[in-house]
Amino acid sequence: MSKPLVVFDKVQKHFGDFVAVKELDFEIREGEFLAIMGPSGCGKTTTLRMLAGLEAPTFGEIRLNDRVMNDVAPHERDTPLVWQSLALFPFLTARENVEFGLKMRGVDKAERKERAFKWLDKMGILEFENRHISTLSGGQKQRVALARSLVMEPQILLLDEPLSALDAHLVIRMQAVLTDLQRELGITFVYVTHSQSEAFAMADRVIIMGKGEIGQIGTPKEIYRAPANQFVAEFVGRNNILAGKVKSVDGGTARITTPSGEFTVPTNEVNLVKDHNASFVISADLVHIATEEPDGGNKAYCKLISEEFVGSMVTLFLEDAQGHEFKVQMQERELSKFDLHSGDEIWLSWDTQSAHVLNES
Amino acid sequence: MAAPFSQTRESPMSSNPEQRPNLYALTWRLPIIFWQLIFFVGPVLFMVAMSFFLVKNYRMTEAFEFVNWSRMLTRGFFWDSYWYTIGIATLSTVCAMCIAFPAAFALAFRASESTQRWAIFLLIIPFFTSYLVRTFSWFVILSESGVVNAMLGYVGLGPYTMLNTNFGTLVGYMTLTLPLVVILQTVTMANIDKNLIEAARNLGCSPLRTIWQVIIPLSKTGLIIAAIFCFILSFGDFVAPFYLGGSQEPTLPILILDTTKSGQQWPRAAVVAIMMMVTLFAIAFTGIALAYRKGKGAK
Amino acid sequence: MKQSRTLNVILGLYVVLIFAFVFAPIIFSMIFSFNSQRFPTIPLGEFSTEWYAKVLADPDIWKAARNSLIVSCSTAVIATFLGFCTAYSDFRYNFRFKGPYLALILLPPTIPLIIMALAMLAWLSKIGMSGQLYSIIIAHSVLTAPFAMAVIRLRLNQMDPDLESAAWNLGGSEWQTMRHVIVPFCKPAIFSSLFLTAAVSFDEFAVSWFVSGLNSTLPVVVLEIVQGNIDPQVNAIGTFVFLTSMTLVVLAQLFFASRQIKGMHA
Repeated sequence: MSKPLVVFDKVQKHFGDFVAVKELDFEIREGEFLAIMGPSGCGKTTTLRMLAGLEAPTFGEIRLNDRVMNDVAPHERDTPLVWQSLALFPFLTARENVEFGLKMRGVDKAERKERAFKWLDKMGILEFENRHISTLSGGQKQRVALARSLVMEPQILLLDEPLSALDAHLVIRMQAVLTDLQRELGITFVYVTHSQSEAFAMADRVIIMGKGEIGQIGTPKEIYRAPANQFVAEFVGRNNILAGKVKSVDGGTARITTPSGEFTVPTNEVNLVKDHNASFVISADLVHIATEEPDGGNKAYCKLISEEFVGSMVTLFLEDAQGHEFKVQMQERELSKFDLHSGDEIWLSWDTQSAHVLNES
Repeated sequence: MAAPFSQTRESPMSSNPEQRPNLYALTWRLPIIFWQLIFFVGPVLFMVAMSFFLVKNYRMTEAFEFVNWSRMLTRGFFWDSYWYTIGIATLSTVCAMCIAFPAAFALAFRASESTQRWAIFLLIIPFFTSYLVRTFSWFVILSESGVVNAMLGYVGLGPYTMLNTNFGTLVGYMTLTLPLVVILQTVTMANIDKNLIEAARNLGCSPLRTIWQVIIPLSKTGLIIAAIFCFILSFGDFVAPFYLGGSQEPTLPILILDTTKSGQQWPRAAVVAIMMMVTLFAIAFTGIALAYRKGKGAK
Repeated sequence: MKQSRTLNVILGLYVVLIFAFVFAPIIFSMIFSFNSQRFPTIPLGEFSTEWYAKVLADPDIWKAARNSLIVSCSTAVIATFLGFCTAYSDFRYNFRFKGPYLALILLPPTIPLIIMALAMLAWLSKIGMSGQLYSIIIAHSVLTAPFAMAVIRLRLNQMDPDLESAAWNLGGSEWQTMRHVIVPFCKPAIFSSLFLTAAVSFDEFAVSWFVSGLNSTLPVVVLEIVQGNIDPQVNAIGTFVFLTSMTLVVLAQLFFASRQIKGMHA
């Protein structure tokens, strides 16, 4: 693990009576690709703006390389931001946009030009150097915006939903561009997004935020397989969430009674107490289906409501007798073995180890 | 017109109004404050003060006497002039609003968008031509042997006396106000949701009833603002009543002009000016209050 | 709304009539300026340029034209500067007493010119600044700054609110950002404002007449000629002033249009 580059120390941000950020306590490591993800209004952009100095924390401290940044003006920081709106200067050419930061920093003309060329070239848009911004396509603008920030050769790059305005196929391409860049340069990326696929595809670690608080920090896999609480589980989606009461605890496993039946779950490190409420999740792709009732184990008998195809993956939406919704994700070719239709009834089952108990919060 | 003002973006680092503004902020904020305090608020306040000054042997001396006020406000000629000015400005407003309405209606509802844009552009042109020259032109056109009477002569009418009458004054006022009133009315009516009118027509409203019960209530605010502007312009204009109306009955602006330019009676002119401003503000505020009152007709 | 053809034709004719009324004095003034009659009527006299010749030969008119030019150019610069500062302050900051602050700049056009003229005359005499060309410039700047403010404020509304922050983020101080981002972005509006305020100033006569003393501008000369008698020189001057103002307005409009086209792409 590398040392922390940025530390958020009990940071709060209030706008009048509105608390945008309740209390943030986390570190950003050197050289990592960190995604901050959450629904709109969760405070993720405010967090990023505080890091760039565009908002001042109401309480707490933000430290960059052990230096307290609270009172440092935005232009005295080295935290370039790639904006959601891109915020390219419409009255300048592509190259002039890239040179802008260097010009502000007093870099002389020849060096400016050379560095701008290098980055335009690296981003594959050298041929557009003299074009005005308004004449460029969305993807080209995106690259100019990246070049404009990266030409500053910062230690850390902030990105605020930079891909949200692009077409789906371009998003995938730009994701690859961004991850490659980050690996190659070895600098820290802090990437704010509401899109789970973007965050999970690119980030080393993900912070899930909701209502101004951190829900969970972890690798995409940790968050996906082992969401810390109900909010994260619901936000990540693709999960089956079951809630009930603890019937018994036995070493590493526990029995939980829910309206949909009784299930065995691994307790992990969660402290489960008999007769207390508990809930757990099972990832949709870890649920198996069968036409015959399986022997023992965790199972539920459900009716198929609908199917949704995305590429070769299928998500089945099902409902049990109590009306609880289940989701199952699987390969299309696997599903075709079953010949299922809406309204058909089928057995679901999963391994005990696939279940994950949530921390009640 | 005023819509974009004051929708300030909450800006980073300075979103807190209590925060002390830095040198940069003050550089942009202060010039207009100083300039307008010295050259706008100063003159207006000084004019108020001046209305209490005395004039002795054609020289103004600073004092605090009510003599100018009592002189002006007890004279019949001042009040004659006052009510005449209000009367003719009101008449001008009514005329302009009525004359403009069918044209604005046509431009708002029957014309294509590009025709509308061109019409508005053309109507802006008069603002950049000398009002004096236009008035002079009317003076020649309307005179006893001018173009209008010559044309009427061909069909055996006239000649009519049009100059030095209230008609002449009104022609002048229309020259000044009509383009603005047509523009404001057109813009207001063009902004009405066409679906509402469609709905009224579908419910069996006759065209005239639609105008009275749908279009006018919906464009009330804009119409009142147009009327206020028209009144302010007519009320404060001295050119039309002077050159086309012959100033037989002097309006208040002519009174100011005469009092200032002859005999150095600035303090008395100031009294007239203040009376005018008070009247205008009263009318404007009443109008604006009416315009933004939640009417029974419009929700 | 159902289209009734006759009604449409009547309404169309009515609109044409209104335009005829609005443009009649302008057009007749131009025609009269080339007409030999001292007191023009129908039928028109012969074509003649004698009024122009007379105007051009008059040194007082040349002087007035020069004064007008100086006044309108200086006014344009001062009013645009003041309007820019105010528009930017309004765009960027929220502060206490912002309402009165905006009223301070937006109020003057609602006060009748004759009153402004009297107030300006009295005050400028009091502080010893009346009767000079700069007296007119000062007064006109007060009157036209609101137009400058409106034009520039509308332009700032079109700016991506992140643009300024982006410049700071790239290491530009507030001052550098003003110079390299805000001003370039507002440039078309600044030119529009310069032409517009110059045009308004070029035509204003009431305030100029009161505060100018012996330094008459063109409109004041027109006013003085008109007071005397019927003199078609006025039409010649009027035509010249009209063409000047229209050139300025068209230039302003061109800048306005070009910025809109750019705005659409941005």
